[in-house]
Amino acid sequence: MEDVGSPTTRRRVLAGTATGITGSLAGCTERLWSRAESPGPDQVSLTIKAVPADDDIIAAKIASQLRENFETAGIDATFEPIAKAELHRNVLLEGDYDVFVARHAGIDEYDALRGLLHSRYATEAGWQNPFQFSDVTADDLLETQLTTADEDRDRVLSELFDHLTETVPYTTVAFPSRIGAVGATLSETVSGPPYQPIDYLEILSEPPDEGPQDRPLEVGVFGEALTSRMNPIVVDSNQIPALLALLYDPLVYRTDDGAIPWLAEDVEWDGGSLLEARVTLRDDQRWHDGESLDAEDVAFTHRFLRDTSLGETESGVPAPQYRGQQSLAESVEAVDSRTVEFSLRTTNRETAIRAFQVPVLPAHVWEPRSTVVGERQTEALVHDNEEPVGSGLFELEAVTDDTEVELVPFTDHALYDADDGPSVVEEFPQFDGIRFVVAPNSGAVVDLLEEEEIDLTGTPLPADETGRVSDLPGRSVLTEQTDEFYMIGYNSHHEQLGNPHFRRLLSRLLDRDHAAAELLDGFAEPARSLSSLFGVRESELTDEETELTAFPGSDGEVDAEEARSLFEAENYRYEDGALLE
Amino acid sequence: MTLAQVVLELALVVTTMLVTATLVFVGPRRLVAAVRGYRWRLEACLLPIAALGVVLALRWSTRDVVLRLERRVVGHNITHTLFALEQRLLGETPVVLLQSIQTEALTEFFVFIYIYGYAFLLLFPIVAYFALEEMEELSTLLLAFTANYGIGLVCYMLFIAYGPRNFDPLVFEPLLYDAFPQSRTLTNQVNQNTNVFPSLHTSLSMTVFFLAWLTRDRYPLWVPLSGFLAISVALSTMYLGIHWFLDVVAGTVLALISVYIGVNYTVDGIVSTGRRYLARRFDRIGKPGSE
Repeated sequence: MEDVGSPTTRRRVLAGTATGITGSLAGCTERLWSRAESPGPDQVSLTIKAVPADDDIIAAKIASQLRENFETAGIDATFEPIAKAELHRNVLLEGDYDVFVARHAGIDEYDALRGLLHSRYATEAGWQNPFQFSDVTADDLLETQLTTADEDRDRVLSELFDHLTETVPYTTVAFPSRIGAVGATLSETVSGPPYQPIDYLEILSEPPDEGPQDRPLEVGVFGEALTSRMNPIVVDSNQIPALLALLYDPLVYRTDDGAIPWLAEDVEWDGGSLLEARVTLRDDQRWHDGESLDAEDVAFTHRFLRDTSLGETESGVPAPQYRGQQSLAESVEAVDSRTVEFSLRTTNRETAIRAFQVPVLPAHVWEPRSTVVGERQTEALVHDNEEPVGSGLFELEAVTDDTEVELVPFTDHALYDADDGPSVVEEFPQFDGIRFVVAPNSGAVVDLLEEEEIDLTGTPLPADETGRVSDLPGRSVLTEQTDEFYMIGYNSHHEQLGNPHFRRLLSRLLDRDHAAAELLDGFAEPARSLSSLFGVRESELTDEETELTAFPGSDGEVDAEEARSLFEAENYRYEDGALLE
Repeated sequence: MTLAQVVLELALVVTTMLVTATLVFVGPRRLVAAVRGYRWRLEACLLPIAALGVVLALRWSTRDVVLRLERRVVGHNITHTLFALEQRLLGETPVVLLQSIQTEALTEFFVFIYIYGYAFLLLFPIVAYFALEEMEELSTLLLAFTANYGIGLVCYMLFIAYGPRNFDPLVFEPLLYDAFPQSRTLTNQVNQNTNVFPSLHTSLSMTVFFLAWLTRDRYPLWVPLSGFLAISVALSTMYLGIHWFLDVVAGTVLALISVYIGVNYTVDGIVSTGRRYLARRFDRIGKPGSE
């Protein structure tokens, strides 16, 4: 049949077409499938969190510069401004961040690094290891420094800093000078902007030219939601600097000129390898509500900071602050009403004193707050503590919502009018308390100074206000180098940031000299030495330079090529200028 | 300057402007007539006044709750999105372009517009429409204001956004607070610095301008003046580093929506619709075996 070979019937055409389509579709879907199943590497993306310019213009500038530099290096970088209380919440409590920029209050003693970095604290909320950094070598060194002294300890610490330059859980940008301003009344007596509670105590004990004043010292501060929470142990709030520390006394104050026993009258040291201390409290101390303060309150404070649920939960709910200091004490026992015995985990007195610096809390107020109110949350950590009951030389008189906080001298304090007290407070008080006046921004604070509404400023001023202040007759600018520092922190739980090599490269992407000169207007010391890169400004340890400060670019601008070759040397790949995961 | 002083100064300047404008646009005769007939006039727009009062009171009283909801529960931080979107769409954010033509005189002008011009722009039409023979225009204006505040409040709860000056102080200058730091004392009372998207300054000003256009046969000269002021207010928010261009765009859209609501609905109508709806629901629930 000739018809057999006959080529195209309709059916065959259709069938053929169908096969063809299916075939080509199959190829196509296979490609789609493979792309869906294993997508190519994406661009590395990082979100940088910092407070907005309103709250801290320097932090916002550093974060912006960092974003720009990251972008030049091929990273998809985003800057997310976020209010201070929320930033602390995100970073310190929830670990919900990639990179943050913040002003840190300073490292008072090398041991403070233990709280910041020891992996034991990685799961705890608060300033203890907010980076979720866990490194066995670092842990070892942080433990060893507790029980070594002098040159041995220096060797351990040098080794620690060497190790940190390899692992870089965070890095320091610069140490800012604190800038303040003072009006005519006090310009002779005040030499630096107040920062610590002891600075205020000094100002109030120094007779002004016109003699003692029967009005409060007026201090101008600014910031958002400064008066809403008065809780000394939480981190997710914005607070007037030094205010809570003036209300809650520690056992011992630490100053540049040495330790000053405060609630403690005397500390007797004892012990062979690990230190023991017997602390005697001053006689007849009272809380602001009239209750008497005794040794049991001190023991309670340490118990409470370790676990604010006081044993209610299995694993405990530690306070988000002061854990580094508190954990120095192995045990704290009240022997009698005025004597507390500390067994410490260190052999260094300098380190041990840190345990005496935590604010002492009244047991009768805080014990009822140990109720568990949520997942890893006790009432003590959510309470606003509107009526703080401390034992400080000041007690809270009144808070006017977001405009004023007034403190008055606490006349029942053991050091008030005492003959044998520390010399700092011999002539306390020369003013009738302190009145903090809250202004909406730094410009408005300087206005208050101009109109003689305030005696001095309490929140650090941005550098560009100094010009205005020096133009005002009688007012002067105060500056002082402090231990505070601007830090860039990395979240080790982030996919890329978990890689120490990556963190090390990121840490080189900011020109610290340029930042100190331009972003901080020269009112700063850039971090250069090994220890200063981790927040220790002055150190007798080795002063060698590291490659962390070798900036791939010049005048603050990253050179794209240079940055790229750095990342490529660590086996990172680029596509169209984008750094790939 | 304390809050009281700032407010006093604002009141003095704006009152002067209002008095002048009233004499020019409304005229003494109409004004006297309006004052005489204040009772029926107030009665006629009692509902819209009450509605605006309720929304403002709600906004004031729920500040803390809204802030907490916004920042911790429902809010999305869109600051970077606004910035990146503007850069992608326009090459450069208009705020940068505006700030690049900065002069001292221009800054003073925009600060004046942002504070005093804005307050005047919002208050004058209330006076002007009050002096008309019918209260329809005033009711429309008040309802449109209410819609602005109501919708704005919801947006602020949903979006956390910081203005340019807060986002990148290296690029954007905080001109308002450099020139006039006390103004923050004032704005702090009514606003948080995360309430940026959309710009209520723009939306309320544009609302006034759109309504001026719709009522042009009553006050023909008010159209160009309100237009000039409204556009200046919108520009000032960007020039001073407070708002993004997209906030201003969203503000204008919000103004259009609010004017639409103001013109097409009345508070009376909305209330009775709501009542009928509720009555029907209760009715249904009330009837046995209905569900």
